[in-house]
Amino acid sequence: MIERALRAALADIKLHLLSVFSVAVAFVCLAATMLLSVNIDAVRQKWADSGRASVYLVPGVEMTTIDVVRKALLASKGVTRVEYVSPEQARAEVTDKSADEALSALPVEAFPASLEVSLSGQESQARVQTLRQKLEALPAVERVETYQAWGQRLDRLLSGGLTVGLLLLVVVLAAVVSVVGSTMRLALSRRAREVDVLKLVGATDSYVRGPFVVEGAVQGGLGALLSLAITGILFLVLRDSFDAALGTLLGGAPRFLPIFPCLGLILLGAGLGAMSSYASLRRLLGSGA
Amino acid sequence: MLKGLDLSISRGEFLFVTGPSGAGKSTLLRMIFAAEKADQGRILFLGRDVGRLAADSVPYLRRNIGVVFQDFRLVEGWTVFQNVAVALEVLGVPGKIVRRRVGEALERVGLAGRGQDRALQLSGGEQQRVAVARAIVAEPALVLADEPTGNLDPQLAVDILGLFEEVHETGVTVLFATHDRSLLDIRPRRIVVLDEGRVTDVAQGLASEEAISKLRVA
Repeated sequence: MIERALRAALADIKLHLLSVFSVAVAFVCLAATMLLSVNIDAVRQKWADSGRASVYLVPGVEMTTIDVVRKALLASKGVTRVEYVSPEQARAEVTDKSADEALSALPVEAFPASLEVSLSGQESQARVQTLRQKLEALPAVERVETYQAWGQRLDRLLSGGLTVGLLLLVVVLAAVVSVVGSTMRLALSRRAREVDVLKLVGATDSYVRGPFVVEGAVQGGLGALLSLAITGILFLVLRDSFDAALGTLLGGAPRFLPIFPCLGLILLGAGLGAMSSYASLRRLLGSGA
Repeated sequence: MLKGLDLSISRGEFLFVTGPSGAGKSTLLRMIFAAEKADQGRILFLGRDVGRLAADSVPYLRRNIGVVFQDFRLVEGWTVFQNVAVALEVLGVPGKIVRRRVGEALERVGLAGRGQDRALQLSGGEQQRVAVARAIVAEPALVLADEPTGNLDPQLAVDILGLFEEVHETGVTVLFATHDRSLLDIRPRRIVVLDEGRVTDVAQGLASEEAISKLRVA
């Protein structure tokens, strides 16, 4: 069966390459949509899982007091990191990222010292609230910013984006099914004579079908693989220009599709190719000699 | 199209089926290899009713019947060898034997050494020889030829008829459908004439007075 499929592929290599390319073009759209969804979800997860708080300190508080608060925070459940940011560091951070002359003119005293607290895990939001109440009760603490409202807005935005991405994925998947089906049907219609001859010399339906289904699976799988290669190249080209801006804004670099979705895509291509060939052959076999 | 046809063909017989276009020659042949079904009646081949065969059994019937068409029915992208070998490959014959028997079949039809040529590169007469080789390579009990000379010039037509006669000499039953009267006169053979539903069976060609009168009566 494999030998016959290979022989047929070599006999009309152009047709096979054209089929693989058509499938690949369809799958590029699917892979790109998946890539978008995966990245939106990654950003959403990152923001959902990482709690953050800035503990602004009263001006003039001593380092020993700050150290006590810092140690107490580090001993709290869910706190992964506590970093002291001095007024000088805070000013430098703001002025380094902005070309605004008004901001650059601000004195060091305009920037309060703070403790930047990182929390991890699903419980982060609840932990932040508890910590906030406890911290605000301390005399050394002026104010606590938890960014919770911003986090919720961003989460809503990203969840909406993810839903749109998933809906788009369904639409693109339907288009892919249609394109793969049409490609296989067209490729098989060119080989109607072959099916006719096989039936004429007494081939059973399963004998006729076998190599065609194998060819369909190989074409679909190769098409999906090619689409991943194309998407990968496009991703690499685009990543460099997006990386700096997106990385700063969203807190992470864009990532390519993980291995399992990639394998799933190839299996989907192979499966669709095999099924389309099978379905198209049913028609041809029905009308054979 | 075909009505009241009562025809017995003995094993090893050579039979012409003739008549004008649309008389039912092709239909008769297609019913024999189960490409069409008769509304009524029976077609017995090697003791089995072809019309009652289950779809799964049709391939096994066809392995006993070689068919040659006017349009050759070759896969143009395949080589001559592949076009002939396919009839043995469906039977699961080992590759070594396939190569030997295809070589023999090509030699019988005058195409020895042409196995690697593409079917597309061959002339009409050569393509029809390949089709004959494919029909006989599996040594079927019956060969059906549906206007096999229809696309060929008169000399090539006679050559192809000669090929079928050689096939017949090996003991194979041959049904040769043609509307070409000149071929019927080459050698006296049993002829079945189909015309507007009428069937006339002439034992020894159309050359004799007896045959012509039989046709008039019918």
